[in-house]
Amino acid sequence: MKKVILIADDSPTIRKFVSVALTMRGFEVIAASDGMEALEKLPNVKIDLIITDLNMPNLDGFELIKNIRENENYKDVPIIILSSLAGSTEIERGLKTGANSYLVKPFDPKRVQYEVAKYLN
Amino acid sequence: MEEAKNLVSVFDKLNDLKSLFKFGEKIVPIIQSLVEFMKDIIPLLDTINTSIADSTSKMPIASNQINDVTNATEMATCQILDLVDDISNALASIETALITEKERQEKIELLAQSLNNALEGNTGLQEQLKELLELTKDRRILETVIPLIEAIREDSYKITMALQVQDITAQQLAAVNHLINSVHSKLSLIVADIEKSELNSEMGSSRSNSFDTPDGAHYDANASFTRGEGVQQKVDDLIRENNLRSNS
Repeated sequence: MKKVILIADDSPTIRKFVSVALTMRGFEVIAASDGMEALEKLPNVKIDLIITDLNMPNLDGFELIKNIRENENYKDVPIIILSSLAGSTEIERGLKTGANSYLVKPFDPKRVQYEVAKYLN
Repeated sequence: MEEAKNLVSVFDKLNDLKSLFKFGEKIVPIIQSLVEFMKDIIPLLDTINTSIADSTSKMPIASNQINDVTNATEMATCQILDLVDDISNALASIETALITEKERQEKIELLAQSLNNALEGNTGLQEQLKELLELTKDRRILETVIPLIEAIREDSYKITMALQVQDITAQQLAAVNHLINSVHSKLSLIVADIEKSELNSEMGSSRSNSFDTPDGAHYDANASFTRGEGVQQKVDDLIRENNLRSNS
């Protein structure tokens, strides 16, 4: 059975990039355009890993991670931040909020595949 | 005595009056020039005002055009990515087929080797077997093609990487749009303050041509497209050096 990855990003192209990079490696990818939509999609299917942007409308990445970590059902789901923000403040805040890895845009598809495999294989 | 004092005072006043007239004579041309200047400058101010109002009314159009550009590049990028995805899938199928073929060739060679050993002494048959093997031997071609497929796959990764420039420029354009939006708001206020009654209708028209960009647009104005793993490497180093770990 394919592992399911949820990508939350307001950029359609980034959702597509991640989707292409991961479906190539046999994962199923579900996309959400912001944090709120990601939260809404969580109960519908068993999610094995979440990749999230930080700057998003409605509910940003930090809030999304906080909400996930506070939820008993998803608190152990690995979370990878994928953001164009590369400042130490954001990295520290992201990891302290509960993300497991921090990747910057533009990203190397192989690195994303590697990070995902690290948690799912 | 008192009369003389009064006379002196009258003369003083007259002198003051005379000075005032003299000053008046000097100042009148200046005032005239000032009036002339005002006459000249008022139409200019009107022109500036109209120009600002005109530029202000055009700003939402510029903003909408930027949004259109972003949408168009977004659509094109997604289409290219779909093609890259198709190419990658096709490559994966070809590679699987070629690897299977390579394994088959290896088996044939092993069998041929056994046969060759069994036919020891029968030079004629051995020669025929060698000939047969040469006819079916395309292993060398496979060994060349398989790395080529890997190289094409590597190139498709590079295309994916390069196409991310669309996301970066989209963020920068969103930042420019936000700036245009802010300038538009300020200029609208200035124009309205200068000539409320005259520009009310014009301002109304510019407002009706509203921005598509939502007020809460999310972007990183400093987003930049850098090749290689330089930035990711810095992030990894930062996490390692500061021993940053997830709290989860």
